[in-house]
Amino acid sequence: MATLLLLVVIAIAWEGAKALFGIPDQKLPHLSAILAEFGAPTLGGSGPILAVALFQNGLVTLGEALMGFVLGGLLGCVLAIVFAASRLFERGLLPLVVGSQTVPILAIAPMVVVGLGQLGAPDWVAKAVVAAYLTFFPVTIGMLRGLRSVPLDALDLMRSYAAAAWPTFWKLRLPAALPHLFTALKIAATASVIGALVAELPAGSRYGIGVEIIKAAQFYNSNPPHLYATIIAAAALGLCFYGSVALAEKLIVRERKAE
Amino acid sequence: MPNPIANPQYLIAMNAPIIAIDRVTKTYDSGGGTVTALHDVSFSIQAGEFIALIGPSGCGKSTLMRLVGDLDQPSAGSIQVKGKPPRQARLDRDYGIVFQSPVLYDWRTVRKNVELPLEIMGRTEPARQERSRAMLQLVGLQDFGEAYPWQLSGGMQQRVSIARALSFDPALLLMDEPFGALDEITRERMQAELLLICGDAGADTTVIFVTHSIPEAVFLADRVVVMSPRPGRIERVVDIDLPRPRDIATRESPRYFELVTEVRESLRES
Repeated sequence: MATLLLLVVIAIAWEGAKALFGIPDQKLPHLSAILAEFGAPTLGGSGPILAVALFQNGLVTLGEALMGFVLGGLLGCVLAIVFAASRLFERGLLPLVVGSQTVPILAIAPMVVVGLGQLGAPDWVAKAVVAAYLTFFPVTIGMLRGLRSVPLDALDLMRSYAAAAWPTFWKLRLPAALPHLFTALKIAATASVIGALVAELPAGSRYGIGVEIIKAAQFYNSNPPHLYATIIAAAALGLCFYGSVALAEKLIVRERKAE
Repeated sequence: MPNPIANPQYLIAMNAPIIAIDRVTKTYDSGGGTVTALHDVSFSIQAGEFIALIGPSGCGKSTLMRLVGDLDQPSAGSIQVKGKPPRQARLDRDYGIVFQSPVLYDWRTVRKNVELPLEIMGRTEPARQERSRAMLQLVGLQDFGEAYPWQLSGGMQQRVSIARALSFDPALLLMDEPFGALDEITRERMQAELLLICGDAGADTTVIFVTHSIPEAVFLADRVVVMSPRPGRIERVVDIDLPRPRDIATRESPRYFELVTEVRESLRES
């Protein structure tokens, strides 16, 4: 409800600015034109309407992002568990992990795509790897924080039961870390979509939202609403992914007290 | 059953303390210097005794409890629990521990919290359920097994914590200010309940109870160990000769007030 209201406010501001400052359609098209663009036919009339085309391309990107999300999520969890278990590994590896995230993804993506392409990996692998590259970092940090959030008394209790490391992890550390993990996964969900989009550009792919954005940008002068429509589709994609993770969180962490 | 008189060795075994603390010192490194939490403490506890450790902050009462429970190791001296080092006693699951905070797992129901140690100890599902039902009955929470901890009041949460500690029938119950976070009315009720529970669970449960409340220590304990700080040491041991079972009448008896005064004065001297 609040979201709907906000959308209306943005729409008014958008059209208001256009009217007030006389911004030409070339720079800021009418919202109605952007909405209409979703219904326009593609491929010079031989393809489906844009909404359907974007949906199909969106599925491709979503698949890549999902693979990257799973890959990065697993890597992030494993790193967090290693760091939580060993201060030595944390001191040695964490700076590298942090450093990896300050390298611009735009520089990394072509290297990964070309490198993996030469090794003969399928196209989607490179995109999933780039998505994973953006995904694993928030998961590592969130999961590590979660694993460290266990109260000392709870650990002492496990110790008094003479519990081995594995039950202590499975019955205490992991469940205690879940709320932190899900916060990280929500960040990772949107990051993985960005990773997949960016990786589509140097890969010379034929399908994907990233591909659509590039194509629309090239023809921006002749048809500005098209680019806006693809951007909205990309945002919707991220939103869907985020929503799925939030839903999973509700189902899995539902019995917790509201924090 | 061997005849103790015919078998003197058995007699000796019966009188051997369940806990023997021998010249124990514990020091910590803190920033610049070392802090002596406990200095040269010796003390023995008989099986079935209820021992209260009392003293101001920094007297090492919690530290002493943690050393007995193998949650920490002494810097010098030795501790024997049932004739074993504390580590072995811990591995044999001789300790049930209750902290000031109930430390319940939010993601488990009350029943599942009580069953946690049993799961870790590999008991079967039917055995666990039977035990948790009995324990929840014991602490008066039989109708709350499927509730989540955060749905219960503080006093009820602490009862769950006690049920969990007793679930595997440990020889020793270690309690670190278990009622410290409760209001006065709940606290008095919990004290009376604890005595009933320990009586019901078997009079052979030995309890070490850390507190900073004088009336609480006197009401509960067979012996009150008065400790003093800098360095932590035992100042005096006060025998509490109040008859059992103890109830509201105990709290109003003249002897109770005498003992409370005695403990208070020992604390002032410390």
